Amino acid sequence: MGAQCHERQRLMPVNESTLAPLVFDQLQQAMAGDPAGFTELYHDYLADAWQALRTLGDAVRQQQAEEVRAKAHHLKGSSMVLGARAVAQCASALEEMGRSADIRTAGAMLEQTRLALLAVQAELSTRLGVGVLPANDTAA
Amino acid sequence: MPSTLVRVLIADDHPVVRVGLRNMLQADPLINVVGEARDGVEALDLARSLHPDILLLDLAMPNVAGMEALREMTSGGLNTRTIVLTGLIDNRQILEALQLGARAVVLKDAVVEHLSECIHAVMQGQYWLEGRPVQNLVQVLRDLTVKTTPPPRKTFGLTARELEVVTLITEGCTNKDIARQFGISEETVKRHLTNIFNKLGVGNRLELALFALNHNLLPATEGK
Repeated sequence: MGAQCHERQRLMPVNESTLAPLVFDQLQQAMAGDPAGFTELYHDYLADAWQALRTLGDAVRQQQAEEVRAKAHHLKGSSMVLGARAVAQCASALEEMGRSADIRTAGAMLEQTRLALLAVQAELSTRLGVGVLPANDTAA
Repeated sequence: MPSTLVRVLIADDHPVVRVGLRNMLQADPLINVVGEARDGVEALDLARSLHPDILLLDLAMPNVAGMEALREMTSGGLNTRTIVLTGLIDNRQILEALQLGARAVVLKDAVVEHLSECIHAVMQGQYWLEGRPVQNLVQVLRDLTVKTTPPPRKTFGLTARELEVVTLITEGCTNKDIARQFGISEETVKRHLTNIFNKLGVGNRLELALFALNHNLLPATEGK
């Protein structure tokens, strides 16, 4: 599977608005000796991100601004490091809402975050195959 | 060119971040990741036991936050050089981190691009900010100090007492409140107000409050 993924990468440039190509490519290059580990890294990211999104949804519904701040910060960190910039930007906005204890519009931002994460997941699935997808109960 | 193996300790509470950083750094043959910490306490413990050359320190960690861990690292006399990793940082925090002994600040969305280079620069004795080595640390500190120091309060020729009156007006105090607070008569307060209006060219309390806000006439307050 790894060789197929590398072949796909050469043919299809990363969608820049979804996943920072420099980050993805350099990480993939750094882990060239462990393609399964590379896929697992992004698999774990997606699973963690969907879990974070669910927790954020609960926190928004229960008006827990501090929980929104903390969980959004968590999601922002991994999204930044792994190049999921749109997700990171949404998470950053949610973090700021939580910090200012004003989460009235957090629901809409949460939906934007979900769409951004779906786009990242689709891009990763194309690039790395279905092995990158988290279990059924985690996504969307 | 760097030639010695750099021993690095990663401290971040997010497992995905730690794995990403570790794999990325291990691609550099001159870097050896010697440990990973999940919070500030573990970071300090591992720094003391492993004596890494470099500590990659997330600022927002549970138990002991990054800035506090940095303070303890410095006061504990460890030789480890600290690189702060963060999602977002303002000038005040950069200045504080540098004052506490940090050698570099790297944003998390730039780690793949810069971190390895930053580590080698720091090992060569350089400081690193905004994606490049710092050429003149004194100038950087001076600039950061200027940026984080609030501008001096303007007075527009008002006396100290008149400035105090302006502050209370913007807080919504009545003449009676002000008179009571300063132990003066309401007539005296009115005289102060007349003088203030004349000096600033405003016609009423609302205009005065807006003028004060727009012209930095109020005393500095603590930031967040």
